[in-house]
Amino acid sequence: MTLPATAAPAGAPAPAGARHRPGTRLRRLVPETGLQAVIWVITAVCVLCPVLPLLYASVRSLPVYESGGGFTLAAYGQLFADPAFRAAAVNTLEFAGVTTVCSVLLGAGLAVAVSRTDVPGGRGYSRLLIAPVVLPPLGLILGWNALYGPGGYAHQFVNDTLHIPFNLSTVPGMAVLGTAVAVPVVFLVCQAALSGIGPELENAARSVGAPPLRVLARVTVPMLRPALLNAGLLVFTLSIESLGIPLVLGSPQGHDFVASYLYNTWSSGSTPDPPIVSAGATVLLACACLLLLLRGRLLGDQARFVSIGGRGGGQAPVLKLGPVARWAACALIALYLAATTFAPIAALALSSVVSELTPLVAPWHLLTAASWRAIGRGDYVSSIRNSLEIALVGAVITAALVALATAVAHRSRFRLRQSLPFILLFPRAIPGIIIGIGFFWSFVIVNPPGHALLNSIWGIMLALSVRSLTLAYFVMSGAFATVSDSLDDAARSGGAGWWTTMTRITLPIVRPALFVSFVLLFVSILNDYDPALFLVTPGNQIMGVTMLQTLQAGTTGPVAALAMVQVAITVAAIAVAARLFTTRVRGSRNA
Amino acid sequence: MPEITVLGLSKTFGKAAALSDVSFSVRDKEFLTLLGPSGCGKTTTLMSIAGFQRPDEGLISCGERAFFDGARNVCLAAEDRNLGMVFQSYAIWPHLTVFANVAFPLKIRRTKRDALRRKVMETLELVEMADLAGRYPHELSGGQQQRVALARALVYSPEVLLLDEPFSNLDAKLRERARTWLKRLQGELGLTMLFVTHDQDEALSLSDRIVVMNGGKVLQTGTPEEIYRNPASRVVADFLGRCNIMTAKVATVAGVAPPGGPVSLVLTANGQPVTVAIPHANLAAGDEVQLAVRPEAVEILGPDSAAGSPAESAAAENTYLAELRTVSFLGDHYVYELNADGQALTVTSTKSVAGPSVMVRIPRSACKVLPA
Repeated sequence: MTLPATAAPAGAPAPAGARHRPGTRLRRLVPETGLQAVIWVITAVCVLCPVLPLLYASVRSLPVYESGGGFTLAAYGQLFADPAFRAAAVNTLEFAGVTTVCSVLLGAGLAVAVSRTDVPGGRGYSRLLIAPVVLPPLGLILGWNALYGPGGYAHQFVNDTLHIPFNLSTVPGMAVLGTAVAVPVVFLVCQAALSGIGPELENAARSVGAPPLRVLARVTVPMLRPALLNAGLLVFTLSIESLGIPLVLGSPQGHDFVASYLYNTWSSGSTPDPPIVSAGATVLLACACLLLLLRGRLLGDQARFVSIGGRGGGQAPVLKLGPVARWAACALIALYLAATTFAPIAALALSSVVSELTPLVAPWHLLTAASWRAIGRGDYVSSIRNSLEIALVGAVITAALVALATAVAHRSRFRLRQSLPFILLFPRAIPGIIIGIGFFWSFVIVNPPGHALLNSIWGIMLALSVRSLTLAYFVMSGAFATVSDSLDDAARSGGAGWWTTMTRITLPIVRPALFVSFVLLFVSILNDYDPALFLVTPGNQIMGVTMLQTLQAGTTGPVAALAMVQVAITVAAIAVAARLFTTRVRGSRNA
Repeated sequence: MPEITVLGLSKTFGKAAALSDVSFSVRDKEFLTLLGPSGCGKTTTLMSIAGFQRPDEGLISCGERAFFDGARNVCLAAEDRNLGMVFQSYAIWPHLTVFANVAFPLKIRRTKRDALRRKVMETLELVEMADLAGRYPHELSGGQQQRVALARALVYSPEVLLLDEPFSNLDAKLRERARTWLKRLQGELGLTMLFVTHDQDEALSLSDRIVVMNGGKVLQTGTPEEIYRNPASRVVADFLGRCNIMTAKVATVAGVAPPGGPVSLVLTANGQPVTVAIPHANLAAGDEVQLAVRPEAVEILGPDSAAGSPAESAAAENTYLAELRTVSFLGDHYVYELNADGQALTVTSTKSVAGPSVMVRIPRSACKVLPA
């Protein structure tokens, strides 16, 4: 039997007649809670270290590396007085509002269509519809720009032939792209909720005589309400921190969002590291935290949406569309996928192999390998190498840390374990640029010898890893929930301590999930760029930042080629993972 | 209420046959139970009648209306069949109150507001849930949820009520109460019910008739008593109540024995004679048969010493000396595990006897010869 450390202070002599000798008891207790405490501290420090220095920097009159500053709220006053900030805030709210409404309607509609009607190819569509989640975000933005942007390949077709006045650089235009990016998030949330609604609930409505559309309207969609609310708040939170979309599309036309306003102020300000940016970032952080609290509050009382599982008839589609409607719906979804995902990626690929992508000249007259030759040299190639390095190392370390932190959170009696889920979920709620600015200040304050973090790719790796670790936690906590506690208990009653139980029993059981979380982390760190914008220094470039900076300098070909490299690595990593994963699952089933 | 006819129903899932040639009918105001072990096809049959699964071939009709006709490619949508269904998991919609759950079918039928309110409250009173009309499903106990499910299926007076193991999520005490209550309700309202269960006690106590299924086939159809007393096969005998199955060989057939006439057999296990009454005469000397004997049909004559000299008692027809292996006391009766010279016997009796051995008698009429 193992007691929590609090029951008997370590080192206290065992009472006379105790069955355990004090020596064995010590060996069992100290390493166990000690290890758990170490895991907790590492996780908490990594997650909190961008936030606290940021708050501190926002109320200092001078940058923290200069001595003599005092407490002041001047930066906040300056921020709210700046008309550019207010314009950016209005733009951000408009963008986030439009994106949220459109993506919730579209994503939920698609999820219901795919999982509750007999649209041909529903299963294939449900895979393709979530593709934008794993595709490099910057690649998608650049693809849209190449296709629908001003001077884009399809810009004239959309505006003059289809007579749809569409300008991607305006706020509503950016919201269209925002919607396309957010739809997969809504789709995923809704689909998970839909698969959790047992078919018997819908069958029950049909058995009392409700026609299919009525079943969808009165049972299916109302049951989706919590999922819709959850997805809507999630999309809104993600939208207010958008940086890539305004930076590529809006800023050059003077349409800034809060995030791009902060970045532009940071990189082009007359004074280095202005406190106004820290203040703005703090405001953004406060909004994100409020939304997170709101989400927890609203989703808290959902017990009544829990239904008892059980069989209750087949998984037959609720709504049988007519033959015409079926194929019309199928074609519509195909058109949507082509317009929002495949055409932009194709345009991106095309613009990487031509000297200029224009509808005025046929592309085969302009074919050139110059862009691809360019990225094989100099800064480009080193940023590809850096990106791969930090993605690989960061994914391994983060996957291991999150696995252990999840084990402490869900499978230990460590006293602070209940705080870990919040700590692990927090980075998803913090806007990326806050992680960037925050880590910049922490590296300035805690500067290890040789600027090992401030001027190196390892500092960037730390920031990107922290930003992505929530993904791994989602995967791991789901996997732990499927492993019965009794398996742990069996190991412990057999004499194994916590560490042995976790490393020899529980974690090996969830090996497939570990692997999935590694791949997700790899892809996510590889394609992320928001935090890195504030941390890169010459010589320590990564792909996303190189792309943005090259684009701002007016060069598009090599940027498209780099984006295609990202797309290719991402697709390859996911394909390999899917392959390995299925063979592994099959192998273990045969064993 | 019209009667439901199921004729030649077949369905395969991949290569496995889930149903093969299932036929039966549910008569007006009848309580019919589909009974069988899990995976026997009873739920597939029920779901085919309800319209949630499409059989490969066969015919399902309700009165004049064809629900499903494989030959004419007719398959009526579930919502157009006007049946009531109670699901195993109850399937109470969690986002609606008790009242709204029960009102839903009436709203579909465009019932006027006053009539709707009256009808819902009447039905809720019938299932003793009127007080909790404003509650949400998660605020109800399992038994209460089950009543709401029943009210929802009853409120629009469907032609037939289908119930898919509705009591399996209740604890033993509650289950018994729900059973009595459902039986009474059926009598009062004159409902036609098709009930699916794997619980033999439930089937015996509730049903007017039982359809025993196994492996996708109908094994026997009849009243509970018919099936219990005259099982058509070993599987039925085994599934419905406890049963001693004994193998025996025909020793003599006295000429052409009339139906019901005595036939002498020899038990394979211990070579002792046993005389039985057979329902038909096509048995020849040397044929091997299986005998089914219900444990409560075996008479315990008492400890061997009390029954006179063993030799004398053993000479009487179908009387055996058996070693007492174990005794279990179950409150209102005892269960004895006996061993009669190699033939195992389970006997239930209210009589208390002590070992080491007892005399038992198997009445001629208690030995059922199972068809080969």
